Amino acid sequence: MKSNRRDLSISVLTMAVRGALATMAAVVAMPQAALADGDPGAAALINPDNYVEIGGIFTSQDSSKFGEYNGLDKKGGHVLGNFSVSGGDSYAEKPGIDRWSIYGNNLGTDSRQVGAAVSAQDKWSFSIDYDELRHNITDSYRTPYQSSLGGNTFTLPSNFGTIDPNGTASLTANQLAAYHQMDVYSKRQNTSISAGYNFNREWNLKFDYKHIEQTGSKLISSASDSISDGLGENVAMLLTPTEYQTDNFNLAVNWGSDKGFFSAGYYGSLFHDDYNHLTWDNPFLNVNTNAGSSPESMSTPPSNQFHQLNFSGGYFFTPATRLVGGLSYARNTQNESYAGTYTPGLATPPISSLNAAVIMKHADLKLSNQTTQKLNLSAGFTYNERDNNTASAIYPFQTIGGDSPTPVNIPLSWKHTQAELAGSYRLDDRQHLHAAYNYDKFERWCNTSPALYAAGGSQPVNGGTYPTPTSCAQVPKQVDNILSLDYRLMATDTVNFNAGYAYSKRNSDVNPYFYNPMQSFDEGFENMGFLAFFQASRKENRVRMGVDWQATEKFDLSLSGKYTQDDYDATLGVQQGKSSSINLDATYAYSEKATVSAYATVQRRTRDLTNGQGQYPLQPLTALWTNNLTDNELTLGLSAKQKGLMGERLDLAEGITYSLGKTDYSTAAGANYTCVDSTTCGVFPTIKNEMISFRISGGYKIDKASKVMVGYQYQHLTSNDPTQYDYYQYGYSATVLPAYLQAPSYNQNLVYVAYRYDMK
Amino acid sequence: MHTWRIARPFVLCCTLLLASWPAFAVNSDALPRSAAKALDADKVCTSCHDSSYPEPVLDIYQTPHGVTGDPKTPLCQSCHGDSKKHIQDASVPPDVVFGDRATVKGIKGRQMIFKPSAPSVQNKECLSCHEGGLRTHWVGSQHQVNGLACATCHSVHLPKDPILTRANQREICFDCHKEQQADSHKFSTHPLDAGKIVCSDCHNPHGSTGPKLLKKNTVNEVCWQCHADKRGPFLWEHQPVTEDCTNCHTPHGSNISPLLKDRPPFLCEDCHNGPHQSSDAIGPGLTGSAPNAPGRACLNCHVMIHGSNSPAGAFLHR
Repeated sequence: MKSNRRDLSISVLTMAVRGALATMAAVVAMPQAALADGDPGAAALINPDNYVEIGGIFTSQDSSKFGEYNGLDKKGGHVLGNFSVSGGDSYAEKPGIDRWSIYGNNLGTDSRQVGAAVSAQDKWSFSIDYDELRHNITDSYRTPYQSSLGGNTFTLPSNFGTIDPNGTASLTANQLAAYHQMDVYSKRQNTSISAGYNFNREWNLKFDYKHIEQTGSKLISSASDSISDGLGENVAMLLTPTEYQTDNFNLAVNWGSDKGFFSAGYYGSLFHDDYNHLTWDNPFLNVNTNAGSSPESMSTPPSNQFHQLNFSGGYFFTPATRLVGGLSYARNTQNESYAGTYTPGLATPPISSLNAAVIMKHADLKLSNQTTQKLNLSAGFTYNERDNNTASAIYPFQTIGGDSPTPVNIPLSWKHTQAELAGSYRLDDRQHLHAAYNYDKFERWCNTSPALYAAGGSQPVNGGTYPTPTSCAQVPKQVDNILSLDYRLMATDTVNFNAGYAYSKRNSDVNPYFYNPMQSFDEGFENMGFLAFFQASRKENRVRMGVDWQATEKFDLSLSGKYTQDDYDATLGVQQGKSSSINLDATYAYSEKATVSAYATVQRRTRDLTNGQGQYPLQPLTALWTNNLTDNELTLGLSAKQKGLMGERLDLAEGITYSLGKTDYSTAAGANYTCVDSTTCGVFPTIKNEMISFRISGGYKIDKASKVMVGYQYQHLTSNDPTQYDYYQYGYSATVLPAYLQAPSYNQNLVYVAYRYDMK
Repeated sequence: MHTWRIARPFVLCCTLLLASWPAFAVNSDALPRSAAKALDADKVCTSCHDSSYPEPVLDIYQTPHGVTGDPKTPLCQSCHGDSKKHIQDASVPPDVVFGDRATVKGIKGRQMIFKPSAPSVQNKECLSCHEGGLRTHWVGSQHQVNGLACATCHSVHLPKDPILTRANQREICFDCHKEQQADSHKFSTHPLDAGKIVCSDCHNPHGSTGPKLLKKNTVNEVCWQCHADKRGPFLWEHQPVTEDCTNCHTPHGSNISPLLKDRPPFLCEDCHNGPHQSSDAIGPGLTGSAPNAPGRACLNCHVMIHGSNSPAGAFLHR
């Protein structure tokens, strides 16, 4: 089909945009040289691809979930603007080395990005980038609190009163009238600067700086003392402010030659929180019995700093034998004031701020040898340490329930040592074998003996003796030995096969008499025989397999899968975990300008937990119970592309994606429990999320430089999690202030239209 | 903020200094190899591989490999070899053919499909210039061991290498990492689809000393780049948080928000059986059990799960 540009209704827009871009186009226009002289089509290939897009996006529905990260959370129109313009005296066969570029994406949304870069290749470079990201968290939150997003003070209206002794299931008319809806989001504005300078062929300097300005809030729960003993702790959903600034710096000097390389650098990260606490009116305060307190306070993340020196280098003994390694030393500190983070009278801090300091060390070394094409050998070592030098002390406070424990803070330290021996052997031109042995040791300790003595003296406390460096760790040491074997086979010129197996055995040293701050309240004791999954002894078997088949020049098919099984050696705790996945992927190029692709991924994960009722380490368990997690995920995708339709003018792309996630929990309880509802009997409602998305987009070339792009997307999400969301509805529970949070579901229709002008 | 006030002049000075470096840059006219000579040398290839060639060739002049004024920029034959036989007979492949089996099609119009060179042969050409830096730990890395060539992921002839473009990078990685592709469509994800986070923000695919090809020494150091609020050190620490964020979170996607491996209270009970109500079975329709732990379950009250800096926060309530 032939198209006459003057027949198109957008010609006015075309002219307007072209007029606005005339200067820019003139700047980037390049004279053509040798390649282009002999080959007219070459000009389009050797000049930069510059373009400007202007248009609009229209969405049919408000949805914070659909617009979670893309800035399209509100229905209606959004301006669409994208551009990329590059230039310099090194394009189009010109002899220079200078290049520059400016770009912008998603202008007109809260997901916008703009930036610029300039460089003289092999001499220096400089770039700057600004990027916004608004994380839309929910649009269903309702609250009676008078507060603003990003604020840290939550007050109730003066006529709100206190909660009825029957709880929040019967709020008064005034209380219900105080509710209002709030969009909850946290916004990041990232500004980055990067620069580099090459002193000569061997030495260069690189600098990166990133400033993250974060505003807004996230949801946070809060617990307050009860209006009566019968109701227990009471919950109100609040907003914790994310008024943060993070500054990350990276400065490195690098040297490299044929014999090796070396790098010395500094990484700094400064985090600042505008607040150190938030306060809220406690609606559950009982003025008659004086239970609880109001307002209440809790901490927010403390401002902190991280400074790290990094050194890395490598020496090439021969082209085939090399040694590379690195060292890092870092200090992570914070000294945020405690003031405001607690209710005066309910805690007695021994000091006014923590003055916390953690030293982080890292070392690595790796020797590799590729003497022959057939055999590659390597031996490596990695060491990481987190040495927490923060002081311990006793921090008496009053709990939510009004009790008065005297816990000791436990700054935990750890070191992680890993070693690897590995070899790859080419059996023949078609077969490769890779074998490796890994040693992995994790150790934990505390530098807090004096404080622990203060807590327990030299006498056992609650059956434990704590004053040793490893008293704070349930598992002071765990060692993992891992063997792995991988095999690759090029069965034919069109069929590749790979398979791998790994066996891992982790042995843990268990200290049943470790100290947990909650033990100061006769809690915090893990049951005898219980171990957290990440530090329990366990055996792991991993198998993977994959095959790629290029059936014809036009048709590719691949199938892969893997299976992992963890068997834990703990009387109580996670007993077994399994995960598996199967992936099928196919691509068919049914013409030189058209392809269709499809994939399917099935994932399944299970976790079996056995825990026991009964508290404190030395008491016998009165009942065991189990809980099983099953997570099933299905993802399907089908996409197609057609280029050069309608006389090389039209490109189309279509895609449909379907995903279904189902997570099920079931509890089977022992003798101390009775099943009173046979329809549930320990089986939780399924957490189910189902999403289908269809999109089609096309670009129609009006002429060599102009294109109209049109797209449509339909996306439907159904999410369901009654266990979580029912809790926040009015009337469901007497102990929670309703927040009316809803599982997000939507039907979204999106249309976009844009005009693109290419400048060559 | 005080530190930033101190650091700000330093940053500005560095920025101004670096921005003024063009004044000190060497004039390209003084370079030992002129652009014209480079283009002349390339003509042995570009005379045939012109704009009519179906695969992108001349587009390389838009890329850093096409800045012919830079004497370090390779010629066609720097990477593909002299390829004398290929020059004499187009049906013979060049000395070095880049790509992997699935993507290299050769000159389809002339019915020539060249088998790509072995990854080690291809990579040797790339590493001859790109050794060090991000490639420091390439030898012995997962991708090297699994036989990947640089050109498996990089398309150096395209004007903008897709894997270096934030909007496209994940699609290249997902060619092989199908599970991560599926994860990215789950209910709870990082902003991968929006292009605000890309794989290389966390991973160094060329090899690293960290786990899972992570850019930093530990998992937590990677996460703290954006989540410095979780860094502490806190007065009241939570052990799994200080050791490894992935004890609780699965960063590529989850059916349980926010990126959780398990939901509370069971997430908590994977590590606790004894304290408070964690010893009681939880399940609907069971008498004798603890409440059904609705809402955020344990996190209804233990809200400072990443650590607390309140003197009243020993139980992570405050």
